[in-house]
Amino acid sequence: MVSKRSTGLLHLLLAFGLLLSANGVRAQVDQAQYDTGEKVFKANCASCHKPDQAMTGPMLKGAKASWDGKGDIHAWVKNSQAYIKSGNAHAKEIFESHNKIIMPPQAVSDADIDAILYYADNFAPKGAAKAVAAAPTEAQPTSSSWQWLIIVGLLLLLVLLSLGGVRTQLVNAVREKDGLAPEVNLTTWGRIRRWAYNNKGWASVVVLLMVVWVSVLTWNFLFRIGVYGGDTVAHYKPSQPIAFDHTLHAGKDNLNINCQYCHSSASNSKSAGIPSANVCMNCHKVVAQGPKTGKEEIAKIYAATGWDPEKMAYTGVEKPIIWNKVHNLPDHVFFSHAQHVAVGKIECQKCHGPVDTKMDVVEQWSPLTMSWCLQCHNETEVKVAGSDNGYYKEIHRRLAQTPMGQRELRKYLEDEKITVRELGGWECAKCHY
Amino acid sequence: MPSKKQYWQDVAETDPAHIPAATDRNEFKAPSTLDQALSDGTLTGSTTSRRDFLKFLGFSVGAATLAACETPVIKSIPYVNKPEEITPGVANWYASTYYDGEDFASVLVKTREGRPIHVTGNPRFGVNRNPVNGKGGVNARINSSVLGLYDSERLTAPMEVADGTMTQRAWAEVDKAVGEGLAKVSAAGKRIVLLTNTIVSPSEKNAIDVFRAQHALVLNSGDASVSATVGGAVDHVQYDAISYAGIASANLKTFGKWAFPTLDLTKADVLVSIGADFLSNWGSSLENTWQYASRRRPEDATKDKPMSRHWQFEARMSLTGANADQRVAVRNSEVPALVSALHSAIASGTGNATAGNAKLEGRAAEAVAQCAKELIAAKGKCLVVCGKNEEGVQVLVNSINTMLGNYGSTIDIRNASPFFRGNDAQVAQLVKDMNAGQVGALLIAGVNPAYTLPNAEEFKAGLAKTGLSVSFSLYADETASRCKWIAPNHNWLESWNDFSPAAGQYALAQPTIRPLFNTRQWGESLLKWSGQNTDWHQFVQTVSGTTMPAGAWDQSLHDGVYSGPVTTMVDMAAPSFDLAQASAKAMDTAKDAGDWEIELYTSEALASGQHANNPWLQELPDPITKATWDNYVCIAPEDLSALTGKSFKDLYIGQESPAQVLKVTVNGVAMELPAVMSPGQAPKTVAVALGYGRGASGERVGRAACMKDASGKLTPVGQNAYPWTAVRGNTVRYEAPATVETTGRTYPIALTQTQMTGMDRESIVKETTLAVWSLNEPKETYNETETLAVHEDVNHDGKVDALDRVPATEIDLWAPHPIEEVGLHFGMSIDLNACIGCGACVTACNSENNVSVVGKDEVRRSREMHWLRIDRYYSSDTHTDTEELSWAGRLSEMEKPSAQPGVIFMPVMCQQCNHAPCETVCPVAATTHSEEGMNMMTYNRCIGTRYCANNCPYKVRRFNWFNYVTEQFGDVNPAWDELGRMVLNPDVVVRGRGVMEKCSFCMQRIQAGKLEAKKAGHPLKDGDIETACSSACPTNAIIFGDLNDTKSRIRAERDGARGYQMLEEIGTQPNVTYQVKVRNTAGEAEHHHA
Repeated sequence: MVSKRSTGLLHLLLAFGLLLSANGVRAQVDQAQYDTGEKVFKANCASCHKPDQAMTGPMLKGAKASWDGKGDIHAWVKNSQAYIKSGNAHAKEIFESHNKIIMPPQAVSDADIDAILYYADNFAPKGAAKAVAAAPTEAQPTSSSWQWLIIVGLLLLLVLLSLGGVRTQLVNAVREKDGLAPEVNLTTWGRIRRWAYNNKGWASVVVLLMVVWVSVLTWNFLFRIGVYGGDTVAHYKPSQPIAFDHTLHAGKDNLNINCQYCHSSASNSKSAGIPSANVCMNCHKVVAQGPKTGKEEIAKIYAATGWDPEKMAYTGVEKPIIWNKVHNLPDHVFFSHAQHVAVGKIECQKCHGPVDTKMDVVEQWSPLTMSWCLQCHNETEVKVAGSDNGYYKEIHRRLAQTPMGQRELRKYLEDEKITVRELGGWECAKCHY
Repeated sequence: MPSKKQYWQDVAETDPAHIPAATDRNEFKAPSTLDQALSDGTLTGSTTSRRDFLKFLGFSVGAATLAACETPVIKSIPYVNKPEEITPGVANWYASTYYDGEDFASVLVKTREGRPIHVTGNPRFGVNRNPVNGKGGVNARINSSVLGLYDSERLTAPMEVADGTMTQRAWAEVDKAVGEGLAKVSAAGKRIVLLTNTIVSPSEKNAIDVFRAQHALVLNSGDASVSATVGGAVDHVQYDAISYAGIASANLKTFGKWAFPTLDLTKADVLVSIGADFLSNWGSSLENTWQYASRRRPEDATKDKPMSRHWQFEARMSLTGANADQRVAVRNSEVPALVSALHSAIASGTGNATAGNAKLEGRAAEAVAQCAKELIAAKGKCLVVCGKNEEGVQVLVNSINTMLGNYGSTIDIRNASPFFRGNDAQVAQLVKDMNAGQVGALLIAGVNPAYTLPNAEEFKAGLAKTGLSVSFSLYADETASRCKWIAPNHNWLESWNDFSPAAGQYALAQPTIRPLFNTRQWGESLLKWSGQNTDWHQFVQTVSGTTMPAGAWDQSLHDGVYSGPVTTMVDMAAPSFDLAQASAKAMDTAKDAGDWEIELYTSEALASGQHANNPWLQELPDPITKATWDNYVCIAPEDLSALTGKSFKDLYIGQESPAQVLKVTVNGVAMELPAVMSPGQAPKTVAVALGYGRGASGERVGRAACMKDASGKLTPVGQNAYPWTAVRGNTVRYEAPATVETTGRTYPIALTQTQMTGMDRESIVKETTLAVWSLNEPKETYNETETLAVHEDVNHDGKVDALDRVPATEIDLWAPHPIEEVGLHFGMSIDLNACIGCGACVTACNSENNVSVVGKDEVRRSREMHWLRIDRYYSSDTHTDTEELSWAGRLSEMEKPSAQPGVIFMPVMCQQCNHAPCETVCPVAATTHSEEGMNMMTYNRCIGTRYCANNCPYKVRRFNWFNYVTEQFGDVNPAWDELGRMVLNPDVVVRGRGVMEKCSFCMQRIQAGKLEAKKAGHPLKDGDIETACSSACPTNAIIFGDLNDTKSRIRAERDGARGYQMLEEIGTQPNVTYQVKVRNTAGEAEHHHA
């Protein structure tokens, strides 16, 4: 363990070094301005722009320089259409050279715009350094103890077998000395049977243990039927009609699109929803080529929505995409995404796993069994006291004000937190009705 | 040589044909292989040997197990282009309007992923809404109508009918054929007649005008009088299946206006109804309902607006009669005399001229005198209505209301109701003209005269003689299947439309789904046949320009209603009364008296019969008789007993006790119908519901209107009683003399509540009188707390005896649940005063919670699945505390049903007991308690022991004896076919066989309501959560809310003086609170004051 930790440290040092050396230029970078720019950029621009390459909108690196002496970049960013109308030639030129995609007016200050452009001009991807640093922290399979056990077991078996051989030889030597015929050379099975016959008590114990063991195995097996996620079974990972890559779209180091940009109903409906193809088209009207699959997969969206990339127009012929559903709950369960996302403020990854970093093809990460739900409800704390949500404030007021409520509250707080379970999260009819 | 002697026992054996030759030679045949067995199709009916059976069993169990190990791949298809307003999983609500010629309501339609699944009242706008509490009412027929959209028997395309066979046609073909046909008729100078229900849509009126202008030479006003037949003209004849022509023609006589008046029951201190079932079917019943209920809450009563007093004179125990403070049973033949006597009494009381001197005796005479006194005392703040469809009687009623100064207060004839303008005389004339061959073309919209006309056979004959006949019906029903062309209209949920239900009010209807089939709105068809290619939506929007200001369209569509200024009408001429003529006319109808009399009424569920194909409504128990899936003869118990010579006990109807069949003959038409005893029915009268017996000649009118009998033949549900109606004196009459005979036969009837008396239980329904209530004495005087005797000297009188009692709620086996003041605690309050027993909550619950329909046979076995039922109790004035009678004598006294019982309705759903008896007996913990006070039912955990149902003192748990989504229940279960399934609420599980279910307090709505509050970050407020029943209730009788919210209305109701819990003494501590019924009974008041 010690050695492992030190390797981790070494890697970190190495990464730090790399970071420094690779970005030597950035010694003069105004880190505060850069960070502000990054923040504003991600909040407002990232869905259409990238600092270092063109996306729906043009690349932002060098944008400031390109506007030098040609007009007011601040006005352009704040309301591009108005600025075009004001008659600026450069604005018109950019607009027309980028497929006439209208950039909506932005509520950003001049300082914000300067920060964004500063960030874009000085942009350096963190990816390379991070990847190196991240490698050692990846979980190693914890199989060493098992390996040891197996090796020890095999050694013991070897010892046992050789001891048995030695014993037989010794017995035969004794019998030979006594003038008796050597023991009949029984098969292994025959010997086991003879041992069992001679040691009925032990034999029944062994049989009983085996029955118990097989029953437990069967029981465990049965529990895994129909379960396609979690630690014990292979995750359900159906093929999909379009090779949509979540790591590319949602990955922090890639496009980093917010989950709810596409799965928009997660915050107000029971289902998070598979995004309709028109949501894809928000970006893919322009992005016709992907980094991995080229034009092939994106062409499928065009086929579904009836988009003609040549003419840049819809033909009106639509064909729905038939996805394979990954997360399936039984019909008698009512799960609400809105409750968990909008009210509970739970990260999508908590249940869906590292969709953004690992799942080029989406798989069912969690088992979605009832015990899995209940376990989380048992552990998750609900901020009732001091909540800024009026609903929970009222719940807390009632708990704190009456004698019976106070008694309940004391009971709730035995583990120093109020959990979902204590507010009724273990009740049948919360999900089954 | 071996002998070939044959031994025999019987002569038959000697016959060689008798000996099975094959088995004789080959007794032990080689068994056939499995392959042979499986490939031999003829063996399907054969018996399988035990060995084979076990082989199959083993194989199938193994195969099923293996198959079950792999979860099938589930496909998911998102929108390509998601409509902006749709979020999968979130319901959208649209304001729209329901109108079917009988019911009118501004409604909200709930849609999920583009499918309408639930209909409820519009809480913000509309004539069916109480502006004080913002409650938009609907009735059972309206909220069930959503199921009609998904009826697989609807016509899917226009049809040409020739020689009884239908051929599908394209719209272009229909347009061409009908266009040419109309041109030919016009050229021949023959009449074109448009036969519709009462049109209240400005757009439809406009389209009709366009059509007339195109085809007519001379226009006819259509409304006022019998049309003059003009060659080549288009006549528009309006026809109401249930006629109000008597009232309209009386108003024409009195006020010069063929119209039904607008009523305002909110202003009526005294309300007298003579045979008008105004809370159920008569007039604008939904408007009547909220207005009536607004004056029935004693807490809301003030000196200026006291609790209203309601008199009902009627032959049949109607829903309205059941709610009356004073109900007097009178035969229909007595009504003219009664009205006349009331007229005389009021005339002499107000110093007016009397008319006639009708004789009236007995209780009715006393009642009329008392009634007249009360009416005069409430002059200008009272109302007299009469259900008799006869001009003379209605003129007298008009005169009574004029003398009482009610016009301008409780009745408005200037801004008269636009509904019920049908003219029976015009229809009768039309049938004559059709038979005389004078009608060249007949276009029929919204009505089904071949079924509803008294002379339907004549109409059918005339229809055959009409050169061009077009029906706009959605079904190939009785009328449409006999027309030459069917141009199917959209379902109302697929339609654009506008309505003008009251002066200054414009209601809009918008489609909530794209038309399911190749149908077209009938107005658009009319326009097309007038040479206009206008889209109906555009047309409605254009016409709206004349009814509302420019720019109001979008907001009006959102609201469902545009309210403009009420144009003040010019003063009308003073009413004129020819009382002598009216009296003579009225008394003439008294000749209809016979030894027996029959009354034909419309039921709460099916109305005129246009809802007969709706299984939710067929299974909705009648409010009074609690019968489902049939029409029957309502008869007084004494009469049936005398007729059949059987005791009441022998006449009991139950699972194994069928009803007696009576033969009723009216005007020479005889029908045999089962008899259901209805206490309160006037002596020697019977009543039969219209609207049944649809599709008797095999027309495809919808699945639930007909059921398969034992032989698999489709037979109509109930029998058609319309042939018993008759046109007399220019109006359709719904009462007639009859003969009633026994047949000795029996017929099974499915009742949901039996007719035996529930004796000596005072903690179920509680009732008091207004007089007692307004004494402001402690609540114990009318709402006694249930107590139990204890073995302790709690009253400190030195001995332990029966007087040592403590409130039942203080004795408890269980530790209290930590819910009081902790978190949320949901409760419901039901005001027995407001509940009129209509059943809108029952069907709303069906729709919201995917409650299965089980069919008549299962209902008969008490297996109906309704989560919410309305118990109807009769009360008699037997004095059980009389000293003369022994204990047993008192009980047998109580067994006698009273001839004039009081009726009380009590909606019962799961009482969500805090100490629920069901929870303790479940062996698998499938029913448990929630921290929010609810008793939760977990279907996926239930193994179906039914212990819980046995242990439930309220009998509200329902067991799925079958998979109701199977072929067996195909005729009745809406969830059965592909199309019907679309009505299911995706937020509620469809329960399978072997599972217990019950009211969940609409858990899905609670969860949704809490989530909305959490997302908005505010505490749960009153009104954030409405259950299906509470939102459907037209009288606001059901209130739902959080009991722990000390400021909530539900808390006030629970702690209020009238609040009590059902069977409080058994200690279940229900979360449903009932409010004691307060009846405004005069007799009791006097008694109490004395």
